[in-house]
Amino acid sequence: MLGPGIAWYLGIAAFLFATGALGVLIRRNPIIVLLSLEIMLNGGNLALIAFSRHARNGAGQIFALTVMAVAASEVCVGLGLVVAINRRRLALDVDRLSELRG
Amino acid sequence: MKGGAWLCLFAPLVGTVLILLGGTRFSRRAAGWLATTSVFVAFAGAVWAFLDLRSASSHAGITYTAWTWLQAGQFKIGLSVLVDPLSTLMMLIVAGVGGLIVLYSVGYMDGDDEERRYFAYISFFVFSMLLLVEGGNLLLLLAGWGLVGLSSYLLIGFWHERPTAVAAAKKAFVMNAIGDATMALSLFVLIAHSNSLEFGTSFDTALHLSPTAVNLVALGLLGGAVAKSAQIPLHTWLPDAMEGPTPVSALIHAATMVTAGVYLIARTHPIFEQARTVELVGAGIGALTLLVAGLIALVQTDIKRIIAYSTMSQIGYMFVGVGVGAYANGMFHLMTHAFFKALLFMAAGLLIHALADEQDIRKMRGIGALMPWTKWAFLAGALALVGMPPFAGFFSKDSIIAAALHDHWYGVILAAAGLVGAFLTGLYTFRLYFIVFPGEPTAFVREHRHAHHGKEGPLTMLVPVGVLTVLAVIGGWIQFSPFWHPLTNWLDPVAPTLAVAEPTNAQEAIASVLAVALGLAGIGVAWALYGRGEVAVPRLPALQRTLEHKFYFDEAYDALFYKPAAVLASRLRSDFEEPVILATGPDLGEGALEIGEGVRRFQTGLLRTYVLFLGTGLAIVGVIFLAVR
Amino acid sequence: MIVASTGNVIVWIVWVGAGFACLASGIAVVSFSNPFYSALALIGNLGSLAVLYLLLSAEFVAAAQVLVYAGAVMVMFLFVIAYVGPRMETPWAGGPTWQSVGAVLAAGAIFVEIIVAVALKAGGRLSHSDHVNRTFGTPGWIGRLFLTDHLLAFEITSIVLLIAAVGGVILGAHTRRTA
Repeated sequence: MLGPGIAWYLGIAAFLFATGALGVLIRRNPIIVLLSLEIMLNGGNLALIAFSRHARNGAGQIFALTVMAVAASEVCVGLGLVVAINRRRLALDVDRLSELRG
Repeated sequence: MKGGAWLCLFAPLVGTVLILLGGTRFSRRAAGWLATTSVFVAFAGAVWAFLDLRSASSHAGITYTAWTWLQAGQFKIGLSVLVDPLSTLMMLIVAGVGGLIVLYSVGYMDGDDEERRYFAYISFFVFSMLLLVEGGNLLLLLAGWGLVGLSSYLLIGFWHERPTAVAAAKKAFVMNAIGDATMALSLFVLIAHSNSLEFGTSFDTALHLSPTAVNLVALGLLGGAVAKSAQIPLHTWLPDAMEGPTPVSALIHAATMVTAGVYLIARTHPIFEQARTVELVGAGIGALTLLVAGLIALVQTDIKRIIAYSTMSQIGYMFVGVGVGAYANGMFHLMTHAFFKALLFMAAGLLIHALADEQDIRKMRGIGALMPWTKWAFLAGALALVGMPPFAGFFSKDSIIAAALHDHWYGVILAAAGLVGAFLTGLYTFRLYFIVFPGEPTAFVREHRHAHHGKEGPLTMLVPVGVLTVLAVIGGWIQFSPFWHPLTNWLDPVAPTLAVAEPTNAQEAIASVLAVALGLAGIGVAWALYGRGEVAVPRLPALQRTLEHKFYFDEAYDALFYKPAAVLASRLRSDFEEPVILATGPDLGEGALEIGEGVRRFQTGLLRTYVLFLGTGLAIVGVIFLAVR
Repeated sequence: MIVASTGNVIVWIVWVGAGFACLASGIAVVSFSNPFYSALALIGNLGSLAVLYLLLSAEFVAAAQVLVYAGAVMVMFLFVIAYVGPRMETPWAGGPTWQSVGAVLAAGAIFVEIIVAVALKAGGRLSHSDHVNRTFGTPGWIGRLFLTDHLLAFEITSIVLLIAAVGGVILGAHTRRTA
């Protein structure tokens, strides 16, 4: 295979996953949280594709497509939630949406 | 024989149970008569057993077992009674003297609110004592031992509103418990070696035990005897036990319970003979006690306490007797002592009853003029106590001194102590007599004395005193060693006198002469000091103080045992119980609350926090998986 | 092992560019305070990822990525951001809280662990990948796989999409006021 080995792609994938996780943990705007979640999912996708190429097995790419579809659905529902929260005039701040507080 | 023994044992128990169950259905008087009857029935049973045994071919003694009481592997204990010469002798003494005393109590305790409880207790005591002497194995003996301790506690503290009585009862019980513990330990050693507590088996085992083991067993038994019989060092409970009613003092603390120690040594003499040193130590303790008690009795002013110290002293004689190996002599003195000591207590009881519970002898001066019968009864008892012929004490006490004399140098010391004791006995007894009876009645006596329908006391009190007076006179005539000794012969199959303790005729004569002479000397000195009042009592303040404080035994025990225990208990409470144990409950509660508060801080309600925990958990799990594979 | 052939050099240059863009846009997404800029950064991320997929012989996936993700999902994001309005948020202001410190540590730990795990497990096997034939990653190949080996995944995906659509409609519908 031309170019860098699979390991490099995996490194990028790991970095994307960690960065996405950091974003989910740090940000307070739910929309940004969803964006960070997308980054994590993409990191996972990249790893899948890389392994698929390395193992010469198509299952990885199939799985990546499925993940893409699920991510799209989840974003759809998540943004619906954001819209509903906004319509109810609640603050768009995950720290303020804390009715689970003990 | 069997019937007699069982009847004797259980009749008083039936009496107790009936009184307890009857409750207020019985009148107080009826409870008293019920108790008296039950004890006299026991006496009848004892006579029956005695006569049967006497006419039996072998006088060795038979054990009758009703059923197996407990069984653990090879170890078996049956509910059994032993009918042999020693036990029948004790049965007769306990049931006979006991019956007279219970009859006396009917008159003495008349009018007390809790009479029924008294009679239930006292028949229970008679039952326990009979269990002790009739028990067919060491475990039943120990059971009886413990039960008489219990009865003693219940009866000393009978007037439970009095704090002094309650304290005395506790003291008696605790000191007896020490003896119980040492006895139990020696029984454990016996079980460990022989797996049985039957008398015969245990005595055989004693022959094969190592010297250490047999000495330990004997020491344990001696400890029990010393505690029960109020010998030094476990003697301080007996004077305090006079807080109980006078018949209790007569029965328990003169005639029967305190002599249980002597009985024990006589019964288990094969063990003691293997541990001769311990036996001689016992004799030494007896000698020491008889001197100390005699000295203390010289300064006491409470009539019952004087008689109590006298008891302590006389039991010292009995210990000397059985300690040197003259078992029959010791038991003989036990018998005569039961007669005259019970008599003395009951006569004192007549005085106390007549003077409305006054016990200070200095206030009783001159009462002899108003109560002549009591005076003569008391005089008879006193002469028997001092050992004047032909009264009972002469025959029994002198034979002990003689037996001790025979037994090498140690015995000579014991005999010397016994002779000094004879002098002291004469002195303190007749000090008591001369202070109380002769002379003009004091104003106090005239005011407070109330006669009972013109007589000196109710009939129920006078009859037993009369019977015992007769016995105090003639009771010793049953044995006049070396000429005539049916008692020694009777006890021979069970408790043969050791050869070292068989005095020669010469020694007997010397002992008797010296003892009588010293006794008369004591009476003479007492007459000079107290009777005529011519010679003043010597003033030795230091000695007087020591004697009045009973050689500071109580103070020593207080400092040695009670105070450290009290300090330890209070330190334990403040340093351990309160901070550690009592605080544990609230501390656990507070700790739980604190944990809850701490955990609560994690429940921020923020989604981010929970995801953070997820992420952290993932990281940790990843490390674990990587490290552990 | 860098073989200095022309194709290799080009691939390397493309990889470096796309990789760099990917990483930078990823950091940008979590760092901007304006959500609009974050969404734009994500579009950039998705594009660079598509390039990386092409380098890994996954043509169909790359195309789907651009069409679905960048084309549909990101448009939806931008719609909602525009609808909600600008909400500026400064995540790093106020100094390090225990939450932010913990988050950095956790994220860093995850990153390191993944690297370590892969390195330990794979050993040297990842350094060389074999050649693949020309049909690898083509749409026809993917389609055949969907309809033969991975039919279940295909069907379930469609159901998931349906549920999402229904959910979205319900969430977005106006609540009926009770009279």
